[in-house]
Amino acid sequence: MPWEEDPGDLYEHAPCGYLTTLPDGTIVRVNETFLAWTGYARSQLVGQRRFRDLLSPGDKIYHETHYAPLLSMQDDVHEVAFDVVCADGRRLPTLINSVLGRNPGGSPRLIRTTVFNATERRGYEKELVAARRAAEASEVRVRALQEVVANLSAAPTASEVAEAVVRAPAAAFEADAASVWLVDADRDQLTAIASTDSAGPARDDIPRGSSRPIAEVARRGDLHVVHCLAGAEEQFPELAETMRRLGYATAVLLPLTNGFAGESIGAEVLGVLSFAFTEQCELTDAELSVVRLLGHQAGHALDRARLYDDARRREARATFLAGTTRALEELPRLMPRARRLVERVVPEIAEWAAVRLQIGPAGLLADAGSPAPDPERLAERVALVVANGKPEFTDDGPDPDCAVLPLSVSGKVLGTLALRMAPGRRTAAAEAVFLTDLADRAGLALENARLYEQERAIARTLQRSLLAGDPPTDPRFAVETHYQAATHDLEVGGDWFDAFLITPDKLAVVVGDVVGRGIDAATTMGQLRSAIRALASAEAGPARLLERLDRFVDRVESARMATVAYAEIDLTTSEMTYACAGHLPPLLTKPGDAPTYLLQGRSGALGSRAGRTARLEHRTPLPPGSRLLLYTDGLIERRNRRLDKGFELLARTYAGRRDSPLPGLTKGLVQSLVGTDHADDVCLLCLAIGTEERLERSIGADAVQIALLRKDLRGWLVSHDVDEESTQAVLLACSEAVANAIEHGYRNDPFGIVDVTATVTTGAVEVEVTDRGDWKATGSSQTRGRGLKLIEQVMDEVVFDRAEGTTVTMRRTRREAR
Amino acid sequence: MTDQWVTFAKLGTADLVRLAGEIDLANAPEIGREIARQTGRSGAVLIDLTAVSFLDSAGVRLLDALVGDLDEAGTPIRLVVGETGAARMTLQLCAFRDDLLATDLDRAADEVGR
Repeated sequence: MPWEEDPGDLYEHAPCGYLTTLPDGTIVRVNETFLAWTGYARSQLVGQRRFRDLLSPGDKIYHETHYAPLLSMQDDVHEVAFDVVCADGRRLPTLINSVLGRNPGGSPRLIRTTVFNATERRGYEKELVAARRAAEASEVRVRALQEVVANLSAAPTASEVAEAVVRAPAAAFEADAASVWLVDADRDQLTAIASTDSAGPARDDIPRGSSRPIAEVARRGDLHVVHCLAGAEEQFPELAETMRRLGYATAVLLPLTNGFAGESIGAEVLGVLSFAFTEQCELTDAELSVVRLLGHQAGHALDRARLYDDARRREARATFLAGTTRALEELPRLMPRARRLVERVVPEIAEWAAVRLQIGPAGLLADAGSPAPDPERLAERVALVVANGKPEFTDDGPDPDCAVLPLSVSGKVLGTLALRMAPGRRTAAAEAVFLTDLADRAGLALENARLYEQERAIARTLQRSLLAGDPPTDPRFAVETHYQAATHDLEVGGDWFDAFLITPDKLAVVVGDVVGRGIDAATTMGQLRSAIRALASAEAGPARLLERLDRFVDRVESARMATVAYAEIDLTTSEMTYACAGHLPPLLTKPGDAPTYLLQGRSGALGSRAGRTARLEHRTPLPPGSRLLLYTDGLIERRNRRLDKGFELLARTYAGRRDSPLPGLTKGLVQSLVGTDHADDVCLLCLAIGTEERLERSIGADAVQIALLRKDLRGWLVSHDVDEESTQAVLLACSEAVANAIEHGYRNDPFGIVDVTATVTTGAVEVEVTDRGDWKATGSSQTRGRGLKLIEQVMDEVVFDRAEGTTVTMRRTRREAR
Repeated sequence: MTDQWVTFAKLGTADLVRLAGEIDLANAPEIGREIARQTGRSGAVLIDLTAVSFLDSAGVRLLDALVGDLDEAGTPIRLVVGETGAARMTLQLCAFRDDLLATDLDRAADEVGR
C-alpha cells in the first residue's frame, strides 16, 4: 500500500522532534528532525546532555519550577513554550508536550517528549504585544489630532485655524513650544499669527524670499525635522542659534499645504507650523506621518478660511459698489457727486482719497481724509495715469499703498481717483480688480454728471435767451412777467411766457408749459413760442391758432401735450378773446370786481388724443384798469394741497394786491405763494390794460417799494400824456411824500401801508398820499424838511391833513394849462 | 451791491464817480458809504450825474454830506449834470451852489485838476 510507512523512518523524519529522556532528563534517544532543527549531532546529545541543558536561562528556571513538578504530578505536560538553544547559539522557539512513563511498580521509567517548532507563532505573539504598545501610544496622538481636526473644521478664519493648530504639537507629541506662520501672498511675506508663547506671536514679518528657515520651508513645501543642534547647524544655522537661545534640542518645521497626503506637486503652502522640544527626541515614522497629516489638515482648513474670507470680501465689495452707485445717482450735479464719491471711499476703503476732474482750466478737486501724499509725486503720477489711462499702484516706496486710478468712459480719461488704503485693509494692488471696478463705475457716474451739467448750462442759456426779450411798450397797456426756476430740481423746465403785438392794435399774451425738463423741454419751448408768433394773425383768433398748433405738434412730437393759455386783446375795442389748451384758467380782475377765473374757451392740451379736439375760444370785455394774470401750475400746485385750495389762495392773494403797483406784482405773488424753496418752475405774466382814470395803489412801508410805485406812476402819467416836466415833478413829490410816510409816519415799520391815489384832469395832476402812522418829527427833521420843501417847490398846492395818520394832497397844474 | 448805481474811474488826476439810474431813499445811504470809501484820499472828485434818471432828497442828502466833507478837507469837487433831467431839477430846487455844478465833464476835470 502506498501509505504503508517504515516505522523507523516515520520516527526519524516526523514533522516534529522526538526526545526520549531518563527521569533525570538525560537524553537517551533523539530523532533526526530535532537534530536538523537544532544543528546538534546525535553523539553530542545522547547520553551527554539533559533536556534542560538545551534551554535558555529563563526557561531553565521555568523548567525546574513548573515543567518538572507538573510532569511528575500529572504524568503529562502540554504546550509549554521553551526556547531551545541551538548548537550555534540561536534560540529556537518551541512548544513541548511530554508524557512520563512508569514502571509497573510506579516509579518513573522514562519521558517521551514531542517538540514543535513555534518560530512563526512566537513571532505573531511578539508583534501583537508590540502592536498593542504602539496602539496605546498612537491613541493619544490620534485623540489629540481628532480634536484638532474637529476644531479646524469649525474655524472660519485663518487666525482661528492657527489657534487650533498651534495647540496640536503639545497635545499630540508633548512638544514644548509651537508657532504658526501664515503666508501673505499679497505682501509676499510670512506673518506669525499664533504662538504658545505667552508673549504672543513674533511681530516681525518674514519676506518669502528670505533665508530664514520658516521662509525656506514655505518655499520648499517639505517637512523638516531637526533632531539635534548639530543637525540644525548643518541645515539652518539661523535655526540653531534660535534653538540654542531658547533651549530647544529638537525642532520640527511643517509646511501647511492644501495638497493631499503623498502629493506635493501643485500643493500650495499656506502657512508653516513650527514646534520644538527641550529634550532631544526621535520622532518615529508613525509620528512623522501624523505630523504630515496635521500639515495637510491645517492647510485645508486655511484654504477653506481663505475661501470664506474671499467670499465675505467679495460680498462686502459688491454691496459697497452697488451702494456707491446708488448714492452717486442721488446727486445729479458734478461736484456734489465727486464729493460724495470721496466721502464713500473714506474711511471705509481708504484713509485718504482725492477725485481730480480734468474739467475747466483749473480742474476740479474733491478730497477727504489724511494724510495726503507728497503733492509733487502725486501730481506726477496723476499726469501719468491721465496720459496712459492705466491705474498706478505702489506698495512700497515713499507713498506706500497709494493708488491712482483713471476715471474714464470708453477710453476717454475724465479724471483720476487717488487713494491710500485704510490700515488693516489689503494692499491697493491686491484690491486692483475691486478698485478698477469702483473707478469704472465712478467714471461713468461722473461723466453722466458732467454731461448733465453741460446740458443744464445750455438749457439755461437757451431759456434765458428766449425769455429775455422785453415785452412791447405801449401807453395802452403794461406787461409784467416773472420766471423763477425750481430750487431743487436742477433741470430747466419748459415754462414760458410771451407778449407781442400782432397788429398795432392787437396784442397777444401767452403762457405755456411744455412736458418734460432739460434741454429738450427748453428747445421745444422755443419752437412753440416761435410757432405761436408765426401763426398768430389778425384774422385767425385763438381757436384757429390752437388748431394750427395741433398740426404743428404732429410734426414736433416733443411739443405734444404742451399746455397753453392764449389771449388776444383788441386795444381799440377793449375786448379780449382767449382760449386755454389744457392750461390753468387765467385770472382776471376788472375795476371794482373781485378776481374771477376765466373758465370758458377750454379744450385739451396740444396734440392731445384724449382731450377735446374742437378748439374753443371765448370773448370778454376788458375795461381799462383790468388786470389779467396768466401763470403756470408751479404757482398753485402743491403735493400736499388740493388744487381748488390753490385756486382759492391765488385768488385771495391776488385780490389783496389789486392795488399794488404792477411793477413787482408778479414777483411778489410768487414770493408769497411759493416762497424761495419750491419744487417746480413758476412762470407768470400779468397784463394791465387801458389807462385808469384814477390810479390807486397801496404799498408796504418799505423804501424799495417807492421805485416800483414810481415806475407805475410814470407809465400812468405818460399814458395820460402828461408832459415830461410835470411828470418829473409829480414823481419827485410823490416819492418824497411816500418816503416821509415811511420814515416818519411808520418809522420804518414794515407792516405799515401807504395808499397813493392819483387823478388827472385836463388842467392838473392830483396825488394823495396817506399813511396811518403817528407822525413824529425825529432828529433828522431838518433833512426831512428838505423833502417837504422839495414837494412844496415842485407842486402848486400842498395840503397836510394829520387827523388819523397823515394825508398829503398835492396838485400840480399841467404845462398846457400854465 | 451798489455796482448798478455807482462805478469808479480816474479822469486825469481826479477820481471820477459815475452815478446812474434812480437814486432814492432805498439805495442812497449805501451808495454814500461806497463813495466815501472810494474817495477818502482823493486829490479831486468828479461826480457824474448825467445818467441819473431820478434823484430824491435822500440823494441830495448824500451829495450834501459828501460836498461838506470834501470842502472841509480842501478837496475840489464838481457835480456834473445834464442841461436838463431829473438830477439837475432836484439839485437846482435844492439850490446847490453854482460853483459846484458843471455840465461838461472834461471842463470840470480841468477845473479841479488845476
